[in-house]
Amino acid sequence: MHNDLNYPSIEARDLGVELAGREVLRGISFSLKPGEQVAVVGPNGAGKTTLLRALMGLVPRRGDVVLHGRGPRPAAFVAQRSDLDLDFPATVLQLISCGRRSSTGRHRWRRRVDRQATERALARVGLDGLHDRGLRELSGGQLQRAFLARALVQDADILLLDEPFAAVDSETVESICELLNSLASEQRTILTVSHDLPLVRTHFDRCLTMNRTLISDGHPDEVLRSDELERLIFSR
Amino acid sequence: MIDWLTGPYAYDFMQRAVVAALIVGALAPAVGVWIVLRRMAYLGDAMSHATLGGVAVAYLLGASLVIGALAAGLVMAAIMSLLAVQPKLREDAVIGIAQVTLFAAGLMIIAKADTGAIDLSHLLLGSITTVSAEDLRVDLLLGGTCALLLAFIFDDLRTATLDPEHAKTVGVRVNLLRATLLTILAIVVVLSLQTVGLLLSVALLVVPAATARLWTRTVLQMTFVATAIGMGSTFVGLTASWHADTPPGATIALVCVAVLVVSLVATLPRRATAADDHLPISKNRIGGP
Repeated sequence: MHNDLNYPSIEARDLGVELAGREVLRGISFSLKPGEQVAVVGPNGAGKTTLLRALMGLVPRRGDVVLHGRGPRPAAFVAQRSDLDLDFPATVLQLISCGRRSSTGRHRWRRRVDRQATERALARVGLDGLHDRGLRELSGGQLQRAFLARALVQDADILLLDEPFAAVDSETVESICELLNSLASEQRTILTVSHDLPLVRTHFDRCLTMNRTLISDGHPDEVLRSDELERLIFSR
Repeated sequence: MIDWLTGPYAYDFMQRAVVAALIVGALAPAVGVWIVLRRMAYLGDAMSHATLGGVAVAYLLGASLVIGALAAGLVMAAIMSLLAVQPKLREDAVIGIAQVTLFAAGLMIIAKADTGAIDLSHLLLGSITTVSAEDLRVDLLLGGTCALLLAFIFDDLRTATLDPEHAKTVGVRVNLLRATLLTILAIVVVLSLQTVGLLLSVALLVVPAATARLWTRTVLQMTFVATAIGMGSTFVGLTASWHADTPPGATIALVCVAVLVVSLVATLPRRATAADDHLPISKNRIGGP
């Protein structure tokens, strides 16, 4: 729908990250086509979150990253939520509206079109009717869907998701998977960090395994075989 | 009652005093909302101490004390913004370093001045009844500018305070925003010089905003309620100080605290009920609305 299918949506070449003098990522190269759903798998401390943050430009990086899409910010990032202040005085609608800042700039999300986009995103993640709730009043699964809605209102061609299936119930996992399928069918590119290997095997067609650097890139049935997983764990 | 409320304002100096008090009473809580939400209450107190250096220098140079305090506040904001680039230094440490640098410099300048005792008590404790028409013009100009600036950055402040990392990904310049907020805070502390004084300026910054948090669900509501509490408290405090012959700054601060105590008591059952309500809602609704 959005991307030119002749160009990769995400292209990383020899990507490296050094934090506090320590090499966290090195020599990572891959590219993703429009409409692809790709999982990133690796042991704790493998640099999966850092990879997403490096793609977003949130940490200093080496190498080249090209995010191909419309507008100056073609990618939306859904981070893990452990550091969010749930007591912040904001409604679900206000949280999601923050995403409109990306495409419309300061103050303009109060336009009717932005309000409608926000309400559509709420409905799409199954949170319609909860727009006036406080953040503390949502369950973990509802909160995760609210963060997905905030990414949706950015209308980005690329979605980078950090553990969207963590700490949510099976019903929410299913609804998130349906949503991701629907977004992929619109030619949006989705890169998802997950440590839920059974889910990666069933939902994704492609999987990147990494441990500070890229270990393998292929179909989950192939790269998540027991011998491949052993190689992944002991590869650092 | 009407006489009690209006009696003091038959005098020109009290009319000027109440206008100055209401300006600070409106603006300080509006800025304080962000200080409270960002858990930077210590910053208000630190900023007020740090202005001492600027006040001392201005006094020795025969310049406006307000300008001196403003310059010190801006220097503090600049020091904090510079130190903030080092992620290993936490926010409270940065505030402490900037505060102690300027406070110590102020004490050093006063000690070395050798011009006899510098009487800064009216700045430390406020002297609202000495506000001149010229002071009011400065207050209105600075206060109006701060209010407009605060309104302009309101949405970005909400986005960045709620989730700083997400704010960066949607184009909010988080560090510039923070520097702007610190500058506004510095100006508000300076405006508090004559009303409640430097030492009690933190009362108007923090207490009405903390009180408003008990009653409200959104930042905009919190801002309006904090501003109303701030203006109400300064008016009642100033009026009460006239009748009771007590220091205006301290009386205003104590009125703010009294409103907080009443609010705490009044919202206790409400908050307990809300907490009880939310738990089963969250548990029952896992997985979908």
